[in-house]
Amino acid sequence: MGMHSTKTASRAAQSRKEAGTWLKALRARAGLSQVELAERLGLKYYTFISQVENGFGRVPTDTMEAWSRALGEEPSSFARTLLSHYEPEMYRLLFGVEK
Amino acid sequence: MTVLQFPPCDGTRWQRAEMNALIAACGESLDKGTVTGWEIGETERGEPQLYLVGPAPDYECVLCVSRLGRLYVLEDGSGRILFEHDALGRLGEQVRGALRHKKAAIVARATVLWLAIKETFEERIEPMLAEPVEVLSQVAPQLVALV
Repeated sequence: MGMHSTKTASRAAQSRKEAGTWLKALRARAGLSQVELAERLGLKYYTFISQVENGFGRVPTDTMEAWSRALGEEPSSFARTLLSHYEPEMYRLLFGVEK
Repeated sequence: MTVLQFPPCDGTRWQRAEMNALIAACGESLDKGTVTGWEIGETERGEPQLYLVGPAPDYECVLCVSRLGRLYVLEDGSGRILFEHDALGRLGEQVRGALRHKKAAIVARATVLWLAIKETFEERIEPMLAEPVEVLSQVAPQLVALV
């Protein structure tokens, strides 16, 4: 198999991209650069922020609260929105509705 | 913690030598399906990022390589820093090693899942299957007596 650039159009990948776009908008609203957000999260580099915003990484569960506070969001609704993007089926089972 | 920042360098795109080294490092994982492809992105400041993508259906990021100034940063899909160095040769070795480790982790998780399913089957299903056999063993002698 040859190495190739993927166009990851699966539902999961698309949903992660939407989460990334949402996070980027939140960061813009909070007036933070990727560097500043990384600083608030205690990260050594800001590359992970970019990875998440570009839809290739997820906000880890154990840092969701820190992300939400850094972005000025209420932790529970922040986590709920991310869950709707990262685990839509789990979200539907828990809350009985599609995102 | 102070976030490390780097002045933007001239050639911010991935160079051919860098891509060749990274692609070569992924060969084994591509054959085995741990990595199915790659995508390119960049940070807000324009530094290039390369995302090695895992299998369908999720296409999760397996590894992310970023170049900040002259420094390469290798992270997994959870943002854990695996390597930071300015030598391309060493980056290739680290990518190869990290992908092998990733495959071992997947195998370990699959084994744990299989054992959990097996245990559940043995605990719950086997007693249910054993019950009719037990009843039959009690009734059989009486049936034999009737014949």
